[in-house]
Amino acid sequence: MTRIGRGVIGIAVAVGLAVGLGAEPPGAGAQGAPPIRVGFSSAMTGPSAITGEGVKWAAQMVADEYNAKGGIAGRRIELYFGDNAGTPGEAVSAVRKLVDVDKVDVIIGQTHSGACLGALPVVKELQVPMVIEACSHPKIREQIGKNGNEWAFRVNPDDVMLANQFAKYMVQQVKTVSIFAQNDDFGRGAAAAYDAAFKKVGIKLLSTEFFDRGQADYRPVLTRVKRAAPEGVLLVMLASEGSVFMRQYRELGLNQKLFARGSMGTVEFLYQVRDSPNIADGLVEATYWTPALDPAWEKQWMERWKVPVRIHGSLAAIAFRYAVAPAIEAAIKKTGKADRKAIRDALEEIDVPNTPVGRVKFDDTHQAFINMLLVQIDGGQLKVLEKIPIQP
Amino acid sequence: MIDLVEQLVHGLTLGSLYAMVATGLALMFGVVRLINFAHGEFYMLGGYAFWYAYAELGLPYPVAGLAAVAAMGLFGLAYERAVIRTILPRTWHVQLIATLATSITLTNLAILVFGTQPKEVPTRLSAAILDVGGIRLAWQRVVVLVAAVAIFAGLEWFVGHTKLGKAMRAMSQNREACAVVGVDVQHVALATFGLSAALAAAAAALVSPLFNIFPDVGALLTLKAFAAVIVGGFGFVKGAIAAAFLIGLAESLAAGYVSYAYKDAIAFVVMVAVLLVRPQGLFGRRIGI
Amino acid sequence: MRAVRWAVLGAVLIALPWLVAAAFPGQQRYILHVLIFTALYGALALSFDLVVGHVGSLSLAHPAFFGVGAYGLALLATEARWPFTAALAAGLVLAGLAAVVVGVPMFRLTEHSFAMGTLGLALVTQIVATNWVDFTRGPLCVTGIPKPQIGVLRIATLSGFYWMGLTTLALVALLYHGLTTFRLGRAFHAVRDNETLASSAAIDPLRYRMLAFTIAGALAGGIGALYVSYVGVLCPGELTVSLSVNLLVMIFLGGVGSLRGVVVGAAAFTALPEVLRMAPTWRMVIYGLLLLVIVIRAPDGLEGLLQRRGARGRRPAGA
Repeated sequence: MTRIGRGVIGIAVAVGLAVGLGAEPPGAGAQGAPPIRVGFSSAMTGPSAITGEGVKWAAQMVADEYNAKGGIAGRRIELYFGDNAGTPGEAVSAVRKLVDVDKVDVIIGQTHSGACLGALPVVKELQVPMVIEACSHPKIREQIGKNGNEWAFRVNPDDVMLANQFAKYMVQQVKTVSIFAQNDDFGRGAAAAYDAAFKKVGIKLLSTEFFDRGQADYRPVLTRVKRAAPEGVLLVMLASEGSVFMRQYRELGLNQKLFARGSMGTVEFLYQVRDSPNIADGLVEATYWTPALDPAWEKQWMERWKVPVRIHGSLAAIAFRYAVAPAIEAAIKKTGKADRKAIRDALEEIDVPNTPVGRVKFDDTHQAFINMLLVQIDGGQLKVLEKIPIQP
Repeated sequence: MIDLVEQLVHGLTLGSLYAMVATGLALMFGVVRLINFAHGEFYMLGGYAFWYAYAELGLPYPVAGLAAVAAMGLFGLAYERAVIRTILPRTWHVQLIATLATSITLTNLAILVFGTQPKEVPTRLSAAILDVGGIRLAWQRVVVLVAAVAIFAGLEWFVGHTKLGKAMRAMSQNREACAVVGVDVQHVALATFGLSAALAAAAAALVSPLFNIFPDVGALLTLKAFAAVIVGGFGFVKGAIAAAFLIGLAESLAAGYVSYAYKDAIAFVVMVAVLLVRPQGLFGRRIGI
Repeated sequence: MRAVRWAVLGAVLIALPWLVAAAFPGQQRYILHVLIFTALYGALALSFDLVVGHVGSLSLAHPAFFGVGAYGLALLATEARWPFTAALAAGLVLAGLAAVVVGVPMFRLTEHSFAMGTLGLALVTQIVATNWVDFTRGPLCVTGIPKPQIGVLRIATLSGFYWMGLTTLALVALLYHGLTTFRLGRAFHAVRDNETLASSAAIDPLRYRMLAFTIAGALAGGIGALYVSYVGVLCPGELTVSLSVNLLVMIFLGGVGSLRGVVVGAAAFTALPEVLRMAPTWRMVIYGLLLLVIVIRAPDGLEGLLQRRGARGRRPAGA
């Protein structure tokens, strides 16, 4: 190889090492008590990298918030990140790295169901508590807590838990529905859940269409729906797809009643459609987070990251602030330590009644039951219609 | 019936997009026998250039579009000098890996520079609706189709009537002979690459108002453009254009009437079928662009 | 003397779990996990190199064969409760059959078309795996894939999986070596280097290409089956074009057509992220640039560099 070629490779490796050493600062020498190491695992690369970015940003914001007050119970928070690329194989790598190399005390993640399912046996083997913040696969509940994995917890509800309530709301307004769902674990799981829920309340499901995220042409399927002519449509999609979808929806002149699961009723969506803010007026979304629960969070996010609040960031923040942080505090108060076992035991016992998302308490299947919210877009603004506690 | 026409409208938009992207690929293969796996990334960067000019700098739509085209044309020229020139004389394995590597680098650089949040660039024409007998379409779709046709006509004129264009056609037909008669082969290769990149940017400037721009947008597009190039006959530009429209329409009709989830498979199934049944392409083996 | 060197290497590799535990206490589980992935990817890269490096066909269908083997074992083990060895064998056979089905029509095509055709099939396979939810579970993934059990031997620990990976790599390497040396290897190389000349010497290019392709496909399927037995969950996202890209990086980085080169390339590719601890997106940029530079300046990869170091003055084989 020529000298130039070798030089380039040498420079590339040197840059890589420099960026690597610079990018992840080693644990700052703590004055006094050792810091608490919190690991976040999400899709930092791959087609779902947008979710990992949201998680990372939220983690940094919440950690800074606590550290500005001297940490949790006087112990500083140190963040570590793992990349699961949205797949189970990489999730195994991410968890093992976070535990064995970064020595984290607790993990928050994995955002995507495949990754969650791959990580579950590993956190059990390594005996590290993991708090799931967004994975929606119904099989997860069948495996955690008393069902076989005492180290995993889940804060977010899945659609099996939300569908019955939302369907009861929807049936007051429409008798026929078509579902548009993104073609991943979230969309497929939701579609199956609502299929069952609709049968129970007497809504006729006319059609279910799946689309791949990142494929921004919905016209053919919108035409199919126009043909089927349902009274309402249920959109299971995120803001980044939803905004393009709504433009084409209006282009075709569709005017069904709009219902959503995902991140349509969000600041992020309204920001993407700020050129036509009324494009989704009337849409009602079933969710468990909205900026109205914490207006300062939205402002802070926009100031720091220059883009609107991203739902996966908010979900990670919920898990961190309302489950993990109280557990850490309780563990330190009770045992003086915040090691993995102490945090795990504390998670099992915490009962935080008045968080913005509702009561945070894990049942014996390690599932929390936060509130479901019905959020409506009205006049280009978000309005909370109802707050419905979810039944175990 | 209205339904069918609606699907056809959509198919024409898709077809225009695929055709513009495929033309650049076909040109490069035809003139310099290069398969550029990073072509979709030129579309992506053209999209970002357009977004920057239109949304960030606030330039009027036509100006922003032309600025994006010019910017990518320059980028294409620079890239040709830096990388392509080195790999043109090498085996096509090297060319494929090199362009693949470029694709990886550009996609991830785009994530670092522009972030993962998709950019939307709605224009007045993408919001204004044309209603023809119950069939609604954004005026932007008309612009896309008209502009695409104009571009293809312009390209045909260019190749047939300008010195550079004729040199490109000549090179695609017989490279050695060109060198013998004194055609500056390197110069022509450079120009072809710049033109390809500019075409990709034009496609992005026209279509982005209807969809959106994100770092990964080029990946699937490259593959579908390849499908069009193959179905049309490697290196035959008019064939690639026709094949691209065919694929766009087939995809739209399949999505509308058969299954939306499997629509992406259409392009590749058609491509594989053509490869197996008629590997020289639907229009037979043609020499030259 | 060479036998002694092999024996020492073998002993070190077999004893690696204990050596790692001694050298890196507290991190040995993670390191073992990386080694397991490295071994499996190394075997996969070798199977890929059989086709790309030794018969000269740039196939992009490898993820499809990996996927057929993976889904084969996953579904048979979870739905039909097949024991591990039977499911693994099924994965190998199904993937081999898939390779035959793909190869027969594809090998009639010339180089560019072959690459595009195999790519198209890989994409269609991924789309089907994602959307045929009734069969493959699609994005909801196949879960609860049981750990390997061979007779009374149950592989459930990291060390156990490491030895499984090591054995796999060793077997594949042996097979690779056997196929690419002796007369068979020369026949492969004849087909790769000069097809017309090979035909005139009564070496049927199609037969030899099909042979390499089928074996490579079957191996990929077997490795896929082992991979999902280790991870326990299978999602269609593991079958993407990225796998082909990663394999290409591995073999070109290490040295196309060389056993040592490919294994080193796979090890470097898998281990590098752990050494270069940086933001993943930056890492991808570095990969891209590295690959670009290497393929242009050093198309024989690291192996070429090593050989040149060992024999200065000898002109490297250009590409």
